[in-house]
Amino acid sequence: MKMLMKEWKLCMHPMGYIMLLCTALVLVPGYPYGVTCFYMGLAIFFICLTARENHDAAYTLMLPVSRRDAVRGRILFCSVLEVLDLVLIAVFILVKKAIGDTPNPAGLDAGVALVGDAMIIFAIFNLVFFPNYYKDINKPGKAFCFAAIAVFLWIVLEIAGTYAVPFFRDVLDRPDPAYLSDKLLFTFGALALFVAGTAWSIQISTKKFEAVDLSL
Amino acid sequence: MVSEMKSPLAVQGLCKNYPAFTLQDVSFSLVPGSITGFIGRNGAGKTTTINSMLSFVRPDAGKISFFGMPWDENEQEIKAKIGFVSAGMTYHTRKKLKAITAVTKAFYPEWDDGAYRKYMGVFGLDEEKTPAELSNGMKIKYALALALSHGAELMILDEPTSGLDPVSREELVEVFLNLKDEGKTVFFSTHITSDLEKCADRILFLQQGRLKADDTLEGFRDTWRIAECAGEIPQEIAQAACGKCRTKDGYTVLVRKEDAEASAVREASLEEIMIHLEKEADRE
Repeated sequence: MKMLMKEWKLCMHPMGYIMLLCTALVLVPGYPYGVTCFYMGLAIFFICLTARENHDAAYTLMLPVSRRDAVRGRILFCSVLEVLDLVLIAVFILVKKAIGDTPNPAGLDAGVALVGDAMIIFAIFNLVFFPNYYKDINKPGKAFCFAAIAVFLWIVLEIAGTYAVPFFRDVLDRPDPAYLSDKLLFTFGALALFVAGTAWSIQISTKKFEAVDLSL
Repeated sequence: MVSEMKSPLAVQGLCKNYPAFTLQDVSFSLVPGSITGFIGRNGAGKTTTINSMLSFVRPDAGKISFFGMPWDENEQEIKAKIGFVSAGMTYHTRKKLKAITAVTKAFYPEWDDGAYRKYMGVFGLDEEKTPAELSNGMKIKYALALALSHGAELMILDEPTSGLDPVSREELVEVFLNLKDEGKTVFFSTHITSDLEKCADRILFLQQGRLKADDTLEGFRDTWRIAECAGEIPQEIAQAACGKCRTKDGYTVLVRKEDAEASAVREASLEEIMIHLEKEADRE
């Protein structure tokens, strides 16, 4: 909790709040909604950039915490932002249902499956961004490039899937409540992937950060 | 030499290899309640040593213990007893001091608010300011106030007086002396040796990644003498002379005290010793 508080009070970048609001893009018709998750990835990049500019690693590592605690604190804080992003996406999906929904030609419709899709995007982002970032905390841009490529690759596949892959086209991309049990299964699977991916990311990132010489 | 168990910091056989630089077999221990100056020219390995001690970089070999405790198994306990201040590093420059303090104190169960208020007052620090609004000297004082408020017994300072004007440096030297009076141990690296003449008890001299001297300030200074030569170096000290330095009246060379008894020599300052030894190393 202390580390989460430290991250929020000292490292949180205003982009984090702005990108949370970008989940409202779910209300826009014909928009690739997965991109809203990419925006949160961008906010996480800004948080890491701010941390570098403020010598946060040196500050943190002089507190009575280990490198492992530092890694876990940062990744869990970013995961909390991602969960807030997911909650807001769900809220805007409900709002969209209430004001009248239309099918989305640019990827999944705003529905239950979109929340699962967002979880997969965050799992990919966490697995690619953080281990690369903790290889060299002075180069968050490089880690973000890798993560952005991976995330966009998934978004492109997901959009193409809604046209070409039967499970995506005929099940996940149908308006709710059609195939609700299949969509829930997909979303819970994605949740497991998000949790496992983030935990794995913490493990790999810690290992990398433990080994690295810090030029602070 | 203080036993490893009693020493606030004991370093044994510290080695770190970089492609262009090697820190080789550095060993020393600090005396509790003393001020130790860690000197050497830029690039000698002072910061690498400090970063290795604090595990910012991973040493290739060597043992480091604080208060008799090895770092790896006691990291949190050790960190609660030490304070680290680096002149070139300022944290979260746009946050108010009170915000940084609020976060910092949450990590220390032993945090003493009374001591914090005392040091903020003594150092003339305003909590409503941000580090960006502070002078370099005040930034160091703030870092010291934080460390002292969580009960740090050992202060490690990396070039704390670099870039400060003489008055600010003098103020910091006074702070170090006051800390010593309170029983704290101070270890600071610098290449501004005149600051050490005023406060250090011991001197560690690092040259090209090797520890060349570990002595009391008086002992280190007393080892050497300066010979001033108008023209050629006198025959009787020519063999022993090291580090020939140009002056406006001729040359100065450094000689060991025992080699200079018959010659006209004078006492050497820390700065002169360091410069001449570095010149000699460059010549070799």
